[in-house]
Amino acid sequence: MTTTSLPNPAVRAGWVDPPPRKGFFTDTSICIGCKACEVACKEWNGVPEDGLDMLGSSYDNTGALGASTWRHVAFIEQPARPAAPTVDLGMPSFSLPGAEADPADRTDFRWLMSSDVCKHCTNAACLDVCPTGSLFRTEFGTVVVQEDICNGCGYCVPACPYGVIERRGGDEKVVKNVGIAQKCTLCYDRIGEGQTPACAQACPTQSIQFGDVDELRQRAADRLASLHADGVPEARLYGADPNDGVGGAGAMFLLLDEPEVYGFPPDPVVTTRDLNDMWRRAALAAGTLLVGAMGAFLGRRR
Amino acid sequence: MLSSYTEMKADGSTSGGCWIYTGVYAGSVNRAAMRIPGKQQSWVAPDWGWAWPANRRILYNRASADPDGKPWSDAKALVWWDAEKKTWTGHDIPDFPVDTAPDYRPEAGTGGPKGLAGDDPFVMQGDGKGWLYAPTGLLDGPLPSHYEPHESPVSNPLYRQQANPTREVFRRSDNLSNPSGNADGAQYFPYVFTTYRLTEHHTAGGMSRWLPFLSELQPEFFCEVSPALAQERNLEHMGWATIVTARTAIEARVLVTERMVPLQVGGRTIHQVGLPYHWGVGSDALVSGDSANDLFGVTLDPNVHIQETKVASCDIQPGRRPTGPALLEYVKGYQTRAGITIFTGNEQRTPTGEQEVSP
Repeated sequence: MTTTSLPNPAVRAGWVDPPPRKGFFTDTSICIGCKACEVACKEWNGVPEDGLDMLGSSYDNTGALGASTWRHVAFIEQPARPAAPTVDLGMPSFSLPGAEADPADRTDFRWLMSSDVCKHCTNAACLDVCPTGSLFRTEFGTVVVQEDICNGCGYCVPACPYGVIERRGGDEKVVKNVGIAQKCTLCYDRIGEGQTPACAQACPTQSIQFGDVDELRQRAADRLASLHADGVPEARLYGADPNDGVGGAGAMFLLLDEPEVYGFPPDPVVTTRDLNDMWRRAALAAGTLLVGAMGAFLGRRR
Repeated sequence: MLSSYTEMKADGSTSGGCWIYTGVYAGSVNRAAMRIPGKQQSWVAPDWGWAWPANRRILYNRASADPDGKPWSDAKALVWWDAEKKTWTGHDIPDFPVDTAPDYRPEAGTGGPKGLAGDDPFVMQGDGKGWLYAPTGLLDGPLPSHYEPHESPVSNPLYRQQANPTREVFRRSDNLSNPSGNADGAQYFPYVFTTYRLTEHHTAGGMSRWLPFLSELQPEFFCEVSPALAQERNLEHMGWATIVTARTAIEARVLVTERMVPLQVGGRTIHQVGLPYHWGVGSDALVSGDSANDLFGVTLDPNVHIQETKVASCDIQPGRRPTGPALLEYVKGYQTRAGITIFTGNEQRTPTGEQEVSP
């Protein structure tokens, strides 16, 4: 299967002859839930602790992406259907677990794990709405906040269709950048030096892969085809379609269930898509009001 | 970097690190990072990661071939004798002198590797044999058998002897044991618990519970129970539970999960309680909690004196444990109801009649 290449948003942002667009391909089918990506991200980027709360959501005590969580590993427990009977500690068998079962009537419990991150959208709403220019498109086609320019207005927070970006809370004496919008930078400081982002570098199973987006898209398509050929029809790509609501993502995923299962919006749309239309309608409404008001005065003169 | 520890020289001119890891960079390639998919290589998959020693995946793999050097099973072939090239070869790295032919027989009195015959696969043993009958060495030989753990809610299905009769027990008031199997009082400890690790913490958390990036990932001590056990004991997800043995009672937050599957043992359903053991009491670390290991007593295996601290029997009740003297009273209540003395479970030979089912 071959994939089409995505337009490089760096060109649109005015970069002359930029390097290839960089991104992530997160293959959740081989994620083991070690959370090394979360820790490596925080170590490298100096992201502060995000709360010592137990969430009761399987082994996930992170919850969601936010100002102080730039990688988030979700754990989803899917009970066996029909309900699991007890395990008989009989004689051990000599085949691989599940080898004798038809995949169609899988009765095994399934534990899904998936490392989420900023999608570095082709059409990024956070960038569109930023009034200060703090959020900018890098030469690698990624979206980065400049913490010394951000004024903390927070427009980008509701603009993100994935709920990724957030203003950092906490005590200014202990935590840096309080009030400033924060999110994954795709390790802008590392990739500028030819290094791999911290999360991908730390991932022990290559579930998180970093590289040129065009190549990653090809890799994702190949992996999908291979899983489908191996009898995993539920495998699907997320964020890899250039015709989706954000024009395709710089960070795409291979999932083993519906996006909602992992906490992904099923059909994200860049929130600024309808802005032109909205302004046109607002102008039309204003014009109508003006005409109406003028009409009222004209009427009085009669 | 040496490719194999056999390249080490005694004159100090080579450097191989710890011998078992020598070869992990063979040919200047980081072999531990090898990720060739299983389908693109033999079923032993030597090019996925690396294993010590020498990237050998199955120790004593000579035993996978018959005395003549042919694999017992083609589907499970590991190594075989190539008579033409006069060498051992195969999917795995042979764990055998590669030039020792299957029909080789040493002269009487030959020592070292050459003292082993071509059909002696257990190369680390003096006689090259695997022992089913071990007349010397083991204190609990000479034949393998099955005993239940020191504490178990089921009686031994093989004999009326419940637990290993040669285990070392310590009859002390601060090291009491739960009654097991069919013994009186065992019904007060109907469940089994086991302890294990999470990836986020290191052992009892002495280092990891001080680090914010690790503590936030697993902030609280918890117990894992199946939905069936939660229903049986009224345990609420994210609520508190108290886990009790004859030694003490600890408290933990409850995670109800289908990952915990009740066991069928001897026709009975035995529920398990899972306890990660990374917490401890104190105020200096970022996160603290009760210690799962407090639930265990000390009973040692007779050969190497390792304590049996991975599995024991217990009770679990909803809610937090009492504190201070009230905790001691609470545990004392269990000891009294179950009739526990320093001899309970601590008789090396199971008392006559203890494990027989009463009519």
